[in-house]
Amino acid sequence: MSRWVIKGIRTGIVTTRYPEKKEETPGTSPGLPEQVTGIAPENRETESRCPTGALSREKNRLNLRQERCIHCFRCSRGTENPIPWKNGFEWAEIRNPEAVVPASLRHSLHIRVVDAGDCGACLNEIKLLNNPYYNMHRLGFFITPTPRQADILLVAGPVAEHMKTPLLKAYEAMPAPKRVMAVGACALNGGVFGPGFVTGSGVADILPVDIEIPGCPPPPLAILHGLCLIAGQLKNEPNAATGTRKGEK
Amino acid sequence: MPGIETLLIGTLSLYTAGIAAAFLLPKEKTPVLPALFGGTGSLLLLFTGIKSFLPPETFHAALWTVPGIGTLTVSIDTLSAFFLVVTAIAAIPASVFAATRLKQTRWQHPEVAAALYLGLLISLTIVIIASHVFLFLIAWESMSIIIYLLISSDNNERPGYLMLSIGEAGTLAITAAFLLLSANTGSLSFAIIKTGAASLGPGVQWAVFLLVFFGFSVKGGLIPLNFWMPGAYTAAPAAFIPLIAGATLNMALYGIIRVTGSLLPIPHAGPGIIMLIVGSATALIGILYATIEDDFKTLLAHSSIENAGIIIAALGAGSVFLAKGHLAAASIAFAAALYHLLNHSVFKTLLFMGAGAVEDKTGTRSLDRMGGLLKHMPWTGLFVLIGALSIAAMPPFNGFVSEWLTLQALLRSVELSSPGIKLAFVAAGVGLTLTAGLAVTCFVRAFAMGFLGMSRSDSASAAKETGKPALLSMAGLAVFCLALGILPTYVIPALNKTIRPLTGASATTALVPGFFRPQGKLPEAFVNDFHKLGAQIGKNSMPGRGLAVLHRGGTKNPVVFAMSTFYMFITLIILLGLTAGLVRLFAGRRRKIRQPRWDGGVRKLLPEMTYTATGFAHPVRVIFESILRPKVVERKDTIAEHFRVTIRQKRNEIHLIDRMVLNPLDSAAHRIARTLAKMHNGRINTYAGYALLALIVFLAIASII
Amino acid sequence: MNIQEIAAEIQSRWNNEIKLSTIAGTLECRCHREHLVPLCGWLFNRLNCHFAGLTAEELPDRWNLDYLFTPAGESGIIRINTAAPLKERNFPSISIAVHAADWHEREAEDLFGLTFEGHPRLGDFILHDDAWQEGVEPMRENFSAADVLSGRNPKPDWRPRRILKAPGAFIMPVGPVFSGEAESVHFQLETIGEEVLRAFPRLFFKYRGVEKLAEGRSVDNGLLLAERFAGSTAFSHALAFSMAIEKLSGEEVPPRAEVLRVFMAELERLRHHLGVIEGICSSTGLAVGTGQCAILEEEALRISGALTGHRYLFGLCIPGGLSRDFDKTALKSAAERATDIVRRMNSIEKLLINTSSFLDRLEEVGAVTEKQAHDFGLAGPVARASGYSCDTRKQLPYGAYRNFDFDSPHEREGDGYARLRLFFAEVRESGRIMEQAAEKLPPGKTAVPCNPDAGTAISTAETPRGATWHRIRIGTDGKIKRYRLITPSFANWHGFHIAAENFAFQDFPIILATFGLSVAENDR
Ligand code: SF4
Repeated sequence: MSRWVIKGIRTGIVTTRYPEKKEETPGTSPGLPEQVTGIAPENRETESRCPTGALSREKNRLNLRQERCIHCFRCSRGTENPIPWKNGFEWAEIRNPEAVVPASLRHSLHIRVVDAGDCGACLNEIKLLNNPYYNMHRLGFFITPTPRQADILLVAGPVAEHMKTPLLKAYEAMPAPKRVMAVGACALNGGVFGPGFVTGSGVADILPVDIEIPGCPPPPLAILHGLCLIAGQLKNEPNAATGTRKGEK
Repeated sequence: MPGIETLLIGTLSLYTAGIAAAFLLPKEKTPVLPALFGGTGSLLLLFTGIKSFLPPETFHAALWTVPGIGTLTVSIDTLSAFFLVVTAIAAIPASVFAATRLKQTRWQHPEVAAALYLGLLISLTIVIIASHVFLFLIAWESMSIIIYLLISSDNNERPGYLMLSIGEAGTLAITAAFLLLSANTGSLSFAIIKTGAASLGPGVQWAVFLLVFFGFSVKGGLIPLNFWMPGAYTAAPAAFIPLIAGATLNMALYGIIRVTGSLLPIPHAGPGIIMLIVGSATALIGILYATIEDDFKTLLAHSSIENAGIIIAALGAGSVFLAKGHLAAASIAFAAALYHLLNHSVFKTLLFMGAGAVEDKTGTRSLDRMGGLLKHMPWTGLFVLIGALSIAAMPPFNGFVSEWLTLQALLRSVELSSPGIKLAFVAAGVGLTLTAGLAVTCFVRAFAMGFLGMSRSDSASAAKETGKPALLSMAGLAVFCLALGILPTYVIPALNKTIRPLTGASATTALVPGFFRPQGKLPEAFVNDFHKLGAQIGKNSMPGRGLAVLHRGGTKNPVVFAMSTFYMFITLIILLGLTAGLVRLFAGRRRKIRQPRWDGGVRKLLPEMTYTATGFAHPVRVIFESILRPKVVERKDTIAEHFRVTIRQKRNEIHLIDRMVLNPLDSAAHRIARTLAKMHNGRINTYAGYALLALIVFLAIASII
Repeated sequence: MNIQEIAAEIQSRWNNEIKLSTIAGTLECRCHREHLVPLCGWLFNRLNCHFAGLTAEELPDRWNLDYLFTPAGESGIIRINTAAPLKERNFPSISIAVHAADWHEREAEDLFGLTFEGHPRLGDFILHDDAWQEGVEPMRENFSAADVLSGRNPKPDWRPRRILKAPGAFIMPVGPVFSGEAESVHFQLETIGEEVLRAFPRLFFKYRGVEKLAEGRSVDNGLLLAERFAGSTAFSHALAFSMAIEKLSGEEVPPRAEVLRVFMAELERLRHHLGVIEGICSSTGLAVGTGQCAILEEEALRISGALTGHRYLFGLCIPGGLSRDFDKTALKSAAERATDIVRRMNSIEKLLINTSSFLDRLEEVGAVTEKQAHDFGLAGPVARASGYSCDTRKQLPYGAYRNFDFDSPHEREGDGYARLRLFFAEVRESGRIMEQAAEKLPPGKTAVPCNPDAGTAISTAETPRGATWHRIRIGTDGKIKRYRLITPSFANWHGFHIAAENFAFQDFPIILATFGLSVAENDR
């Protein structure tokens, strides 16, 4: 056992300082396409490459609906007019401002994760929140096995038909106030799957969503950002520390 | 109040009138007789007992003289009085309950059943008050036979035969013991035996003790003679089992106390040690089998064995203390034993009523097939819960007091000097502590699996509340459970009247010391001892009473274990009230939401997805595998090697006693029979040869002598 | 026996009643339904062929069923094809002879409404009987994937199938929402207390109908599904999908792209296995070990993210090559960082195998024999840990794997510890392959345009969890007509219960973790 202790101490602290300090280590986030202007109105090649309709045109400006983007890179690779890419991960958006946790409770929140048909990537990123690199416990977030003690229901996946009942039951089993967090493009709008005969078009179909985290999958930092927002540990404003700006809607 | 004699005659004539009425009245009327005559008779019996307590004089009456045997006498000393009270406390509600059952179940001959029941009451009374060997044995024997008849009225005859045959062996041993006593003292009267017994030689004393202990153990359910009990108790009709379990078990204990405590107190520690070890082993084995049992009634039968074990262990401890001259400690141990005996009668009668009501309403005794009964039978559930909490020794109920006292009494063994005896006490203490722990598991399981959760069978989900009279009799006993639990300081002085003649010391001074009372008066030296420790005895004591057990390791370091269930109860009430009040205060006007259990999101939680009683007890099974020695038979059926169709598993647990005592005896008997059968080959020459052989052997012996 | 010998033997045994043809290493046997069971049984039980999967298909005029086998220890594919008119729905079940086909037949029964005669257990599989009415056949042509089904009418008296007959037996239900962040799956643990006699997984809570959704989609959109139905092994599945499309288009993938693909596939394997090892550590409650492995996993993800832009390699593999090129130095440094991860993992392994409290919980837990691995058609590390060799990279080498020097590690015992050792060994091999790939990266293009012709193609690739088979039929309009996904998790979930019999309840998470299963990959 002692060898494990030594190993642990030797490893030192690897944990990110986010949200106090900005985190820009390469590979922590896939990033998103940037909003571009100055594209000729008749040049519709780039936006037509987007399989999810995340790019929308407003005269000569190409807007990004970040909740639809699945990082397929089709708008930036293999095209004449690649869209510039921007790093960052602070994509989360609060849908219901009343759900933000009051100040006295924001440093202890319990999360029940429900996999409503995700592909495994979102869930892996959620699992990584416990990773020494991210260590969400330091911010007072804990994953709990029972919704009975959960403050936040974190849902990933497009809500497969068979998961509807379990998801609703988990929601019902939560104590009020219940907060629902939809994680990943699938949970936001069905992603590449929904709506279909056995998939919905996201969590909002059946539950009131309080906060949305775009991304396919959203990297751990993006989920952490969302958690900090709903916990009131961060304000829903351009973050001075990280210098990143939240996506337009 | 009328005199004891009047009361006693009243009691017995009511019982007898009931029997007469059973045969005179039409069949439809007879089921109420137990309640009518048994109940009122038992009420008179209660008064008889109480009255005999009041002036501590012995009621004595000569009945009639039988030529060659002497004058048959009855007498009520405080020991008898105590047992009369216990019997009456169990018999009053049991009679009402018996009437309700007799009415509901279809009996071929309800009048016979009612008459037998009343006959049982008579024989119980006479066993207690008989003070003549002949009368005692007659009453004892008729009690056995009536129980046999009551049990065998079912179509399953084996348990009854088993009980009767082993019971007869017991009666034989008891008879032999009494004959030995009377042969040595020259009389069949208890009074004369008692005065003459002290002069008996140690050999005779030992022989009498062993015979008596063996004889009464059979009825008392001590190992290794209790193998008949689970079967018989399970087979017994629900109408009578509360009385059988609540009152007749006590008769065995009465017998043991009467002989070893009153008639022939043996002045050395040996018998006490035997009782201590046998008692604690019985308790442990009893509760172990109760914990894994699925049949509710069989479970209760195993638990009766356990409780008999506890009582015998306490009695054993008491007689060791007595033999060693530690009179106060002996009084505590006897108080513990008698208290537990009383408690056991109360809660076991209650639990058997509950089991009967449940069986009646669900048609099953299997805990695996119950579940969720609290919704359907809330009152029965409440009373069974109180019974279960009491028997599991949970404060503030009565079981707690007596088990606490028993363990405390065992702890006083530090005062003894012999290391061997101390070792026995430690072993017994460990056994009884484990027993207490398992008892909690056992009855948490019994109640939870029966009354909580989801109904695991259709009959359980269709159950209805049982009738009012049955509920009323359970309620009465439940009240007793609580009262005996929170008012031990009033019960022990009463018990003391029985104990003092046995030990020659008072349990009250040892157990209910004055310093729990405001104007306590304690010996100066005693108080000083405690003041050295920093204890403020006698100064800031609170009003009210509690129990204390004092351990004087030496004069310098006295240790006191004190406990007040009354305060515990008050505190509990206050805490509960406070919590309820706070909840009301802060959340009273909030909306309350009741939500179903969290089941992991399954579409529908089905009853088969919840723990069964067998599953709940499985860890205990695994831990005690070396004692239980299960034979697991498993068969896996598949189609085409890989499609699993069924896995059948059966676990056969042959009871330890059956495995180690009964079955070897059984096979030995068979072997002997076979050998004998070989000798009986039917040829005349062989028989002639045997005769010759016998003659030679006889002559040889004669010539040697 | 290799493909030719098998063909000759079939010819002599079945007297030319089975039509044979060999195309590019694939032996195609067209047979009538009546020969199906003897032929498949012979291949599976006598020749020990590996059963890869069954594809059912509704063509305009007939049912078309393809049974895929691979010969034991030899290269090649055997495709048994049988057909029947649409109005006939009964096929003989081969599951009695070929147990590995059990779930495949149940799936076809559930989704197409076919009946497999002689199958002992049909129904309540993908579409749960307690959620759907009978008669829904979503994979049929006339069923539209855009329809949202209404009018549910499930059986109200549905009861789980129980096979444990013992006094006091009950089901311990686990899930579908359980543990901390587990994938949704429901387990019925049949038990009489602490010991579980059988654990039966109830899957498809996450059924998203990927095969149906793909129908009518363009190849590009189909790729998105292939990549994202099982995100933790996205690259391998995108690769298999792309290879099938490439077969149909006849395009040669540029060698640079082939080597890069190997690099990425191995990076994915390395990252996936580290995650599994982390899961095994955490299932035994070894906190420091879990943390150490988690650090490595995150670093592998960061390597992927920094190198390709996406932590899970999404959007990288496209039919015809890769969506972007890589700098050789970047690749080299990524390979170096991966080697560093392997080195650190080796030191963790040394610590782990010296931690007896950890090993005690793995050894002899959840054992699977080699025969069981074959009979259940297990795939990937789980099969190889039982000594059953089934590495597509070796048996049906695709892409650039032929040119690489690597081992496919094996173990014999088949218990949890053997699987753990295997995961470690495979990570080391992946590191070696990545080094070689970075070293020998040829120059050239990374992609060619790829337009598939109408037709059917089968491709296979070794995902981190084992072999996957993608069978794609493209219509004349260039759209996907039928997309069949045979995944390793499907095979391994089928065999999971053999490892989960007669165990103590607390061993359950450990058995589960050592299997390294994905529910998303199984449920599709
Ligand atoms: S990355 Fe893909 S999904 Fe996102 S905007 Fe570009 S094309 Fe659309």
